[in-house]
Amino acid sequence: MSDIPDLTQYIMTGTKYLLPILALWILLRCIRSMLRERYEPETWAWLLDEDGAALPVCHWESIIGRAASSDVVLDMPGVSKLHASLQRDGDGDWTLSDLRSREGTYVNGEEIDILEPVEDGDTLEFGDAVLTFREIDADERAALERRRNAPGRFIGPGITLLILSIFQAFLALEFTITAQQEYLFPICLGFFALMVMEWFCYLVTRSVRRTGFEPETLAFFLTTLGTAVCASGTPEDMFKQTIFIILGVALYFFLGAWLRSLERVKASRFLAAAAALGLLAVNVVFSEAVFGAKNWLEIGGVSFQPSELVKVLYIYTGAATLDRLFARRNLFVFIVFSAICVIALALIGDFGTAVIFFAAFLVISFMRSGSFATIFLAVSGAAMAGFLVISVKPYIADRFSTWGHVWEDVWDTGYQQTHAMSAAASGGLFGKGAGEGWLKDIFAAETDMVFGVVCEELGLILAVLAMFALIALALFAVRNAAQGRSTFYVIAGCAAVSLMMVQMGLNVFGSLDILPFTGVTFPFVSKGGTSLVSCWMLLAFVKATDTRRDASFVVSRDKAPKRRYEDEDEYEDYEDGSEEAGA
Amino acid sequence: MKKVKRRATAALLIAALLVVGLAVYLVRLADNGGAWASYFNGGTPGGTILDRKGVVLYTSDEDGHSFAADWTTRVACYHLIGDAMGNVRTGALRQFRDKLAGYSFIEGTTSGETFSLTVDSALNAAAYSAMAGRNGACMLIDYTTGEILCMVSTPSDDPANPSSEPADGTYLNKCLSASFTPGSVFKLVTLAAAIENIPDLFERSFWCEGSAIVGGSTLTCTGAHGTQNIEQALANSCNCVFGQLAVELGPETMAEYAEALGITAELQLDGMDVLSGSYVKGEAGSIGLAWSGAGQYEDLVCPYALLRYVSAIANGGEIYEPTLLGHDALDGKTRLLSADTAQRIAEMMNYNVQNAYGTWVFGGLNVSAKTGTAEVGDGTSHAWITGFLNDPEHPYAFVVVLEHAGGGLANAGPVASAVLQAAVAAY
Ligand SMILES: [Zn+2]
Repeated sequence: MSDIPDLTQYIMTGTKYLLPILALWILLRCIRSMLRERYEPETWAWLLDEDGAALPVCHWESIIGRAASSDVVLDMPGVSKLHASLQRDGDGDWTLSDLRSREGTYVNGEEIDILEPVEDGDTLEFGDAVLTFREIDADERAALERRRNAPGRFIGPGITLLILSIFQAFLALEFTITAQQEYLFPICLGFFALMVMEWFCYLVTRSVRRTGFEPETLAFFLTTLGTAVCASGTPEDMFKQTIFIILGVALYFFLGAWLRSLERVKASRFLAAAAALGLLAVNVVFSEAVFGAKNWLEIGGVSFQPSELVKVLYIYTGAATLDRLFARRNLFVFIVFSAICVIALALIGDFGTAVIFFAAFLVISFMRSGSFATIFLAVSGAAMAGFLVISVKPYIADRFSTWGHVWEDVWDTGYQQTHAMSAAASGGLFGKGAGEGWLKDIFAAETDMVFGVVCEELGLILAVLAMFALIALALFAVRNAAQGRSTFYVIAGCAAVSLMMVQMGLNVFGSLDILPFTGVTFPFVSKGGTSLVSCWMLLAFVKATDTRRDASFVVSRDKAPKRRYEDEDEYEDYEDGSEEAGA
Repeated sequence: MKKVKRRATAALLIAALLVVGLAVYLVRLADNGGAWASYFNGGTPGGTILDRKGVVLYTSDEDGHSFAADWTTRVACYHLIGDAMGNVRTGALRQFRDKLAGYSFIEGTTSGETFSLTVDSALNAAAYSAMAGRNGACMLIDYTTGEILCMVSTPSDDPANPSSEPADGTYLNKCLSASFTPGSVFKLVTLAAAIENIPDLFERSFWCEGSAIVGGSTLTCTGAHGTQNIEQALANSCNCVFGQLAVELGPETMAEYAEALGITAELQLDGMDVLSGSYVKGEAGSIGLAWSGAGQYEDLVCPYALLRYVSAIANGGEIYEPTLLGHDALDGKTRLLSADTAQRIAEMMNYNVQNAYGTWVFGGLNVSAKTGTAEVGDGTSHAWITGFLNDPEHPYAFVVVLEHAGGGLANAGPVASAVLQAAVAAY
């Protein structure tokens, strides 16, 4: 019998050091794959001036104007700084919108307002600049496709996923040693379901001939940590957790597919805004107060947090295409919408989520307006509102007064932070082992203090890698902005990662007493059904920014206008090159 | 598009802030990780604290913690060990908890460690009994090694069964975290300054008629001491002489010696901060300056600092810094005063006992000492005594202060004697 404890000891010690190594490997592979490839500028059309010189149109949405920050710069006195916007939609149809220029915009001699269709050979006049619009021809289109990089050429996503699966297997193995007998089955099932799910998703994306899988891999990595936290702290909820992961992934694919069509998105934005306000209204009226914040609804025995779904709708509503970007009225409507959302959240008492919304609002409004004046106005408005909230809700003021003094009141107001810090420190770099901590037994450990739980059980290295996984997603989204097709996707992607990063910062640093404790969740890792689902949906926005060739299922293959370019099968040739050559 | 592309870098700002926040955490973790990790018993795999003879003063494991088995030991070592709630700031449970938990940055908490303190819990018990319910502090140190053998503060409590309404000062280790008006024991500081700054000090003859006029006010003495040399003046604890010496030395020199001898310095004991005493400089030639030389005025002394100074006197002017954990290797002495000055003060303190206090006070032990009866303004006095044993086999220095207890010799003397007797008998 003495063999058995010896063996478990080896397993625990071995996995303890193996897990951070595997995690680092996964993260490095994903980062290299997402960030190493150089982006070639794409040319989608030409503007020919009277001398025959050709100006390339490199984006689906371009600004034409005299300012250096325009995408097509026409340095002539009659051209306004931001004169017009030229846009291409997913079907390859082009439109031109005047941006209230001084001299006006003309197509074939007719003055236009907004969204005027433009076709190959049309003459466009911007003030005193006269240009001929020319779409790229079939050869140029083919060349363009060929030049674009596809992911997976250097770093095979399949191998990365395999490492993740090994990571999950070892983590599950640790639980087979530490978990109570009665929970062994749900825990193993949970990890097994996770593996099945990720490979299913991988095969699905491969089957639609998309090879980019890094954002999903990182999300699955974080979700794995969340599953471990759940298995450790609340193993009785493993089934529920698994169901929510499946739901989240399903909604991720649904939203991703939905985002493929920009027209569909544009048409449904007001619906989304209405849905967001409706959800918040329901929340304000019917919600139950749970620990200060009334942000829970109980539907058929399943508690759910409407504010989490509102995050997704908010970004969906807030991002905008270029033509709408320059109308002050649109920004104003957005500010009013944001204010209503934040006020509703304050009414609900969900201070943490209100802060996250506000941060998302700042990012979106900055990306839409580029104006620091607007931001300043918003910040000062929010500061006043913040004082109001703090004076009305005394328990929020309490949190602020505790901030920085948690060790002075360890058994009351500093209880959660000090316990999280103590547990986190006791884990060292490699942790005590999955299921071996004590922080998990403290209330809200698996949500608000999840960073402490991960540090204690899996070690500081893994916890820090989890943070960097999310930061890597953010860098990816920002980098993709350079090659974005529509500002909608760029703004939505950047807002989504910003929101997740702010949320992570509030969660992690709140529990470590570096920021006030606000009780928000760590994206993907914290337990909490709605939160997990909303994070997966936010990931769809990130996925939509990925314009590497055949990387993202959210990005449709460039269809040429049907009338001139029928032969879709031509792209088949490029599929083969994207097999996992560099793995 | 280009505009939005540029604005997208705003998201990088958030990423940068996250990295900064993480760096802040890592720095704090490296600094305080041990203290954090071992703060809650639930997280510590346990550890044991022993006294110098191996008596278990505290032990904890997964099933909980316990203190010494014996009530007297628990109460006498209350401030040394601290309580489970961390109320005693300088208690070993708070100060040495990372040592107890076996914490390292890389491994986190590993397994409970066992370590010994230099204190002998039996001496603590002897001191606690001798203090007989009076509030104050008592310390005994081996002045050749700096090891603290006894450290008791009262009022105390039973950590295994804490009182719901503890008396004022229960959570304070008065040996380290309190300072008192020193009265005549401060004359040892004035004396050191005088020896080193007044060349003809030992040739002088002083006159005391029971009081003196300084700066237009009256400096009163404990009696009319008549003609005295400096040796007799110390034995008589003559306020007139030491008041006038302080005036002659001036406020700057007095403050300089109070700092150099550690009375007002920021001292540490095994890394924990000890409360500094204070010396407020009276104006040159003023009565305040005179009283400050006699240990009254605004003077405040922490017992630890005084013990450290007296240890240096006993040990030829230099000491190994006092410790509760023991020194791994004996090196790095601190010199407080010159060997010559130390020698002279030591002889004079011995003269005190031989000629003024009576050797019977210490049961025949060859002790050098200085008493103090510090008037605290409400008609009562703190009873002080400090000194050391002249015995190479038993090189012990001590300090006792009893608050509002009356005369130093009559009240603090027997406590010091009891602890010295116990120490000599035990080693
Ligand atoms: Zn006198």
